[in-house]
Amino acid sequence: MSNRKRSALFTLLCLCILIPTTLILGSRLKGRWYYLTSTLIVVEAMIPFFYAFEIRKPKAGELVTVAVLAALAAVSRGAFAFLPHFKPVVGIIMIVGIAFGGEVGFLTGAIAAFASNFFFGQGPFTPWQMMSYGMGGFLAGAVFHRSWEKWEKKKLFPVALGSFGFLSVLLLVGPLLDICSLFTMSSTLSWDFAIACLSSGFFVNLTHSLSTLLTLLLLGKPLLAKLKRLQSKYGIWER
Amino acid sequence: MAKRDPFSEYHPLVCFLFFLTVILMGTVVRHPAYVLAGCVASGWYYGLLKGRGLLTMLLRLLPLLLLVSLLNPLFNPRGEHVLLRIFGRAFTWESLCFGFVTAGSFAQTILWFGCYNTVLTGDKFTSLFGNLIPALSLLLVMVLRMMGEQTRKLKQILHARSGIGKGITEQNSRREKLLHGMTALSALTDRALEGSIVTGNSMKARGYGCGRRTNFHSRRLRVGEWLCLLLFLFLLALTLCLGGMEAEFEPVIRTDPLGLGFLAYCGLLGVPIVLRIKESILWHILKYGI
Repeated sequence: MSNRKRSALFTLLCLCILIPTTLILGSRLKGRWYYLTSTLIVVEAMIPFFYAFEIRKPKAGELVTVAVLAALAAVSRGAFAFLPHFKPVVGIIMIVGIAFGGEVGFLTGAIAAFASNFFFGQGPFTPWQMMSYGMGGFLAGAVFHRSWEKWEKKKLFPVALGSFGFLSVLLLVGPLLDICSLFTMSSTLSWDFAIACLSSGFFVNLTHSLSTLLTLLLLGKPLLAKLKRLQSKYGIWER
Repeated sequence: MAKRDPFSEYHPLVCFLFFLTVILMGTVVRHPAYVLAGCVASGWYYGLLKGRGLLTMLLRLLPLLLLVSLLNPLFNPRGEHVLLRIFGRAFTWESLCFGFVTAGSFAQTILWFGCYNTVLTGDKFTSLFGNLIPALSLLLVMVLRMMGEQTRKLKQILHARSGIGKGITEQNSRREKLLHGMTALSALTDRALEGSIVTGNSMKARGYGCGRRTNFHSRRLRVGEWLCLLLFLFLLALTLCLGGMEAEFEPVIRTDPLGLGFLAYCGLLGVPIVLRIKESILWHILKYGI
């Protein structure tokens, strides 16, 4: 079997067997099992991405490039010390996803979140953060990876990138993190608490999505050009 | 008192299993006694590891815990004994208790993770998973190293920019601050990516991908560690089999009576603390012997 088929089969196995089993088992148990169940599902949803990366046996240069970009995303806040609350992390992860494809984008996001938590402290939110940052990169790759070179010349390309980033952080990346606090802090699940959690995170998410918009608007084109050069000159993550 | 923490020097597998178990149990079980035991054990071990750090941690946690325990009853009006009404909603004694338990299990999770961060450092984590996920664990090691390196490079770039009169201060407008940051980030990307090609070539030249990988921490489980692991698994099995972890809060509070299962759980939580105490007793005996 080719690597591609193996990873597709594995993904299917995870989605169709592992996750439903966890859900059924989790709903049968009493107590505060929902945090555990939800976190397990988040972890299980990440496994196929990691597995695909492992069996692909990446070249040394590709491995180092992903490491460099993940580290860059993790430390990027340092460049904006004078602008509190400005977080360019997800923007950079999205650019990686667009240039190298959704899977690499996911990996960069997940590793960046995990590694930066070694410095800021791991917590019950770690898998959720990995998932949400990874999803940011994956989504950007899924939407733009195939066609960005065609659209690149258009004048509105950075604006399109920015607005995509804005919406996906506001609607997906941010709320995923809020859902984690819902599971860790509430004693019983209720819609009221969920709405309170999501709305209390709204302004944080708004500033987060604004900074993603600005990052993609200003850094999108230059960074994409640099990554494209790596691709064409050194054959790193070629399609 | 001896400053060494024996549990931190144990095989990463033992440490990882311990933290995995106590964190999972801590988030799942909602029996008040179990939660209290978890809080005491995690706080005690955190104090042993960090000393004064425990106080600052508790001060930081306290407002959050109050918020969690007082917020929950607002969203959960079930329960028999109504304490007061806020905006027409019942604020009941039962759900307040439930809120305290939730806050307790939140606190012990945070404290256990604090201990985890000190005990299981990045290199131990990768040595544990190095052969299961070789590419990913190598990736993690590289990212952890590069984060320090790139922070340093970023500082150099910012210094260089201020050296040629393009530095930024509080007086600059937001637009200038933003553009300044973007330029610095762009320069950092160039520098880091250029290095990545060199590193990749060098790895290839030194034979990356040929044969099995070895680790910085190369060691097997010692006899004492096997014993500790077996004792730990035995206590875990006792806790799970004897049960008595159920508690209900609605409509009235009802908890399982405490039994041997609780003692086993306390033993389970106390493993690192007992090891530490044993070490310091041994140390005192040795000192008197001189």
